[in-house]
Amino acid sequence: MREVLAKNVVLNVKPLTQFRTIKIQIDFLRPINKDESTKRRLLANVLSNSTEKYPSFKAINDREMELYGAEVNAYTRSLLNFNDLGFSVEFADPSFLIGDTKQIENNLDLLGEIIFQPNLAGDDEFDNTAFDVEKRNMLSNLQAIQDNQDLVSMLELSKLIHQDEPNKLVPIFGDESQLRALTNAELLDYYQDAINNDFVLINVVGNVDPENFAQLVKQKFSGKLLQQERNDIEIKFESFDKLIKDPSHGQDHKKVNQSRLAIGYYVNKIDKGFSHLAPQAMNLILGGDDQSQLFLQVREKNSLAYSVSSSYAPNNHLLTITAGLDAKTIDQALSLINVQLDYMRSGKFTDEQIEHAKKVLFTRRQVGSDNIQFHIMRSIWESVYPKTILSEAEYKKELDKLDRKHIIAAANNIHLIADYKLIGE
Amino acid sequence: MAKKLQKYIKTLPNGFKVTAVPLPGYKQTYTVAMANFGSVDTNLGQGKYLPAGIAHFIEHKLFAKPGYDVSEKFAKYGANSNAYTSYTKTAYLFQTLENPYENLKILLDLFQHPYFTEDNVNSERGIINQEIQMYLDMPEWVLEQRILGQLYPNDPISFDIAGSTASLQQINKDNLLATYQNGYRPNNMDLVLVGDVDFDKVVSIVEASPFEQMDEQTDIKPNKFLQIGAGGQESMKISQSRSAFGIRVDTKLTGYELVKYQYILNMIMETLIGESSTNYQSMTNKNIIDDSFSYNVVAENGYCFIIVSGSTNKPDEFQNHLREYFLKNDLDKILTKDKFERIRRDAIGAYLFAQNSPDAIANQIAELQFYDVDYLQLVQLLNSTTLDEVLATSKEIFKENKFTYYNLIADGK
Repeated sequence: MREVLAKNVVLNVKPLTQFRTIKIQIDFLRPINKDESTKRRLLANVLSNSTEKYPSFKAINDREMELYGAEVNAYTRSLLNFNDLGFSVEFADPSFLIGDTKQIENNLDLLGEIIFQPNLAGDDEFDNTAFDVEKRNMLSNLQAIQDNQDLVSMLELSKLIHQDEPNKLVPIFGDESQLRALTNAELLDYYQDAINNDFVLINVVGNVDPENFAQLVKQKFSGKLLQQERNDIEIKFESFDKLIKDPSHGQDHKKVNQSRLAIGYYVNKIDKGFSHLAPQAMNLILGGDDQSQLFLQVREKNSLAYSVSSSYAPNNHLLTITAGLDAKTIDQALSLINVQLDYMRSGKFTDEQIEHAKKVLFTRRQVGSDNIQFHIMRSIWESVYPKTILSEAEYKKELDKLDRKHIIAAANNIHLIADYKLIGE
Repeated sequence: MAKKLQKYIKTLPNGFKVTAVPLPGYKQTYTVAMANFGSVDTNLGQGKYLPAGIAHFIEHKLFAKPGYDVSEKFAKYGANSNAYTSYTKTAYLFQTLENPYENLKILLDLFQHPYFTEDNVNSERGIINQEIQMYLDMPEWVLEQRILGQLYPNDPISFDIAGSTASLQQINKDNLLATYQNGYRPNNMDLVLVGDVDFDKVVSIVEASPFEQMDEQTDIKPNKFLQIGAGGQESMKISQSRSAFGIRVDTKLTGYELVKYQYILNMIMETLIGESSTNYQSMTNKNIIDDSFSYNVVAENGYCFIIVSGSTNKPDEFQNHLREYFLKNDLDKILTKDKFERIRRDAIGAYLFAQNSPDAIANQIAELQFYDVDYLQLVQLLNSTTLDEVLATSKEIFKENKFTYYNLIADGK
């Protein structure tokens, strides 16, 4: 069931009895802005630290436990060109519990508390302890990134890829110097702006009655979500033409045991009439699983890396190859990676590899639906970018028409745009 | 009330246990074969040990067969396969939409027919060595090894599960085969399928693939523990210091009682230092910990310990605070009946959350069977635990001579 509750406030309810839990998620969307990403992440953390009714982290945790281990999450992430400030609560389906637990209403109330009833100190600031603790935690987390070499190399690659898009140069999880400068009062101002103006998606998946749930949402949130005129959102895509002509390169030396390679490619759109799934199939054969060329040739046959793989993001057409390897074998691995790309471009892959790729794509989609988050994400895409959503039948049709020449076309549309080497010393 | 999970189980004459759990509404079948054999099982007695990392090496190399790799076969039948080694278990698994029975035959072939050659063993060393290097860059992993080294000095549990560059050199096709034959016995393994399968057909497939007892068994001896270490620290090229506080719990409990004991220890730790504790709030407010702070209770195969760890700018305060706090142990004041009920509810919720996931169900059933615990009776186990039992246990475990610590100091700061 999909219902537009107010301008740019959409409710999706998917009644499913497959799961033992119910999940409610509320997402606030607006375009990614380099001056706001840090604020949004800290806001997520401060709001989930404590509320008016549950004025400490301990109090919220006690309430979650009372509600049979409800899991509250607040986060930010990038979704296309939007910064998604999201809040969710997942909880045990009351039909598996004894007695009238009022699980759905109680958990919706808890989520509402976190989003709409912050723990304030007067009119101008969040509770100082909540603000200070969460700011400190976030600083600590940002510093700890430097100890995660896979993430460091991916962030460096991302900087090279998005060098002409300033709003994406600040990571979605924030920036240390911006965070240090951010004050409590500024954050509360930003909260009022975001909570009143962002595009809102409410999704629920699980054993719920759609009509009753819609009524409950209207009853609980009418004064908070449904009164304001909220901003429209518009999908925009980045251009990589400049990088295709002149790829960007970066490298650093660091005292680490294992070196890392991260390479970014842009995959141009293939001809109309070709299967939409050609880039995904190409990625699978290249480096998408343990039967792929990269895994078999770089890891298994030549023992050059423990981890080597590729991944493809259909929404921005970016293909990424990453590897963890010994510093002295970087050049050998790079040349072997290029051999695999040529293998794809020249169509040397076998019919068995094509069939395998089709089978894996189908399986991943089906198995994905065994996860509650799959259904939440699908509802989000249906609201935000519906033309990319394929029904089961459409997906099957795209898979059936997928053939060798489509995959070769996708491989020949791969363009290197950036590479980054983290060289261990 | 909604329908509870059902379980079908059969123990074959050779001791191999087969279980199936239907999961209505789910499209996949998830299957795991588990050996009660892991990285700590290296003690041959009389001071002799197998090389560190041998269980993990077997896990890697069982995929190799004459002329093919088992993962290719799984892929042919539409399955995604994987494996993992822990301190005390090794598991092989697949997830599939179709052909569950063909994939089951492949899984049986995977763990029943070793094929270790000089060449394939040599080529695996490079890959595993890269895996070891990868983990050495992860401070949390390094810290776990170090604190285990204090809790159990010189014990196999304090070595990397994958071994070391040096120990990999001692692994060869002969000791791999001998170790495999010891650890992979039908009465030391089980198999769990979660999904839409015909249990009788599963049993007949397993019976048709005889898993013979190997040559005479060499006993792997239980490890004898040295006195707990005094603690230590080292500098590391990291951006933030990390600290771990360790508590060794010497217990002779086994089976069901040990699983219950682990639940009780978790309850104690949640009350004293969990996110819902006053102490967590206070340590956070004093800037002693950040939100990476956590605890882990392990109780299995002779080992029972608690590790409390996290990033901190104040490693000394972190250690001193926890030591004093645990010695003071005011659990009887803070574990009220309400709190006890909240923790019980939380555990019931966690049990239901896990049932959303076929892999969680399969892996928990497979593991708990080695402790004679029925996964479907876990709620009864929770409900049978009393407040008095929890308070009594807390009085046993917090002793100064059972505490230790380790700090990784960022760049010598």
